[in-house]
Amino acid sequence: MSDLLSSPAQQPITEMLDAATVQSIADDVWTSLVGDGEVLVPLPVPAPEVTVSAWVQITGRWCGAVVVTCDEATAVALTECLLRARPPAVIEQEDVDDALGELANVLGGNVKSLLPELSSLGLPQTGPIPPASRPEDLCRVDAQWRGQSLTITVQGATPAPHTERNEVPQ
Amino acid sequence: MRALVIDDSRAMRRIVGSILEDFGYEVRPAGDGREALDVLEEGYLPDLACVDWNMPVMDGLQFVSAVRSNPAYRSVALMMVTTESETSQIVRALAAGAHEYMIKPFTADAMRDKLALLGLLPQEVSL
Repeated sequence: MSDLLSSPAQQPITEMLDAATVQSIADDVWTSLVGDGEVLVPLPVPAPEVTVSAWVQITGRWCGAVVVTCDEATAVALTECLLRARPPAVIEQEDVDDALGELANVLGGNVKSLLPELSSLGLPQTGPIPPASRPEDLCRVDAQWRGQSLTITVQGATPAPHTERNEVPQ
Repeated sequence: MRALVIDDSRAMRRIVGSILEDFGYEVRPAGDGREALDVLEEGYLPDLACVDWNMPVMDGLQFVSAVRSNPAYRSVALMMVTTESETSQIVRALAAGAHEYMIKPFTADAMRDKLALLGLLPQEVSL
């Protein structure tokens, strides 16, 4: 796990990109992957009590994750949209994890390209949201899709001294 | 025409595959570079391979290098389809032997344009 940890003094992500940039990336991703006319509206609605998240790790001079979080029904609806051309008869949890992970992957790849130095991108993961580090090392877009809450965060990894308690879940 | 779509994401395999099928391609999916090499070694020789970069087991760059090092696969056009969008990464992929490079997210129109550049757009598909 050591390669996924930030240094205690890494430059905050907010000095490299802002929420408007993340929203712009998401707009492109939604149009291309989710579907024509599908819009991620940058107006927050109350977050659901139970959420699912998918994320990719970015490792480089800046270490952190790009995380997509929504409720289960929204994740299933996103999956149906991504698979619109040839949906399986039954959408299984594996399909949902895969689709939400791919959204995080494409968002993460585009975020990575904006970082000042070449970084590497991990494979998508799903599960409980990974812990964020300092509040200033977090860029967050609270939005809605089809009226449901969807959040994208670009968050610094937990600094090394706290990793025993805050390891990113597998 | 035949295409091999290599991506560890089932959703992305379906998205890329359905676009290619709309253009008249017969599509075969593979979940990583090793699985795709197995398909080639079986004798399935596609006109085009769409290759993701970040995959488990064998990544896209390793797959491209393996294909380019085998003269039997010389006719396969290799298109990276990936989130890796830094110029240095594009240069690495092209240096390894990829013929074209497409950054996710992309549209069907962008795929059509890339196929036309490769001379792999069926004649019945208009630009």
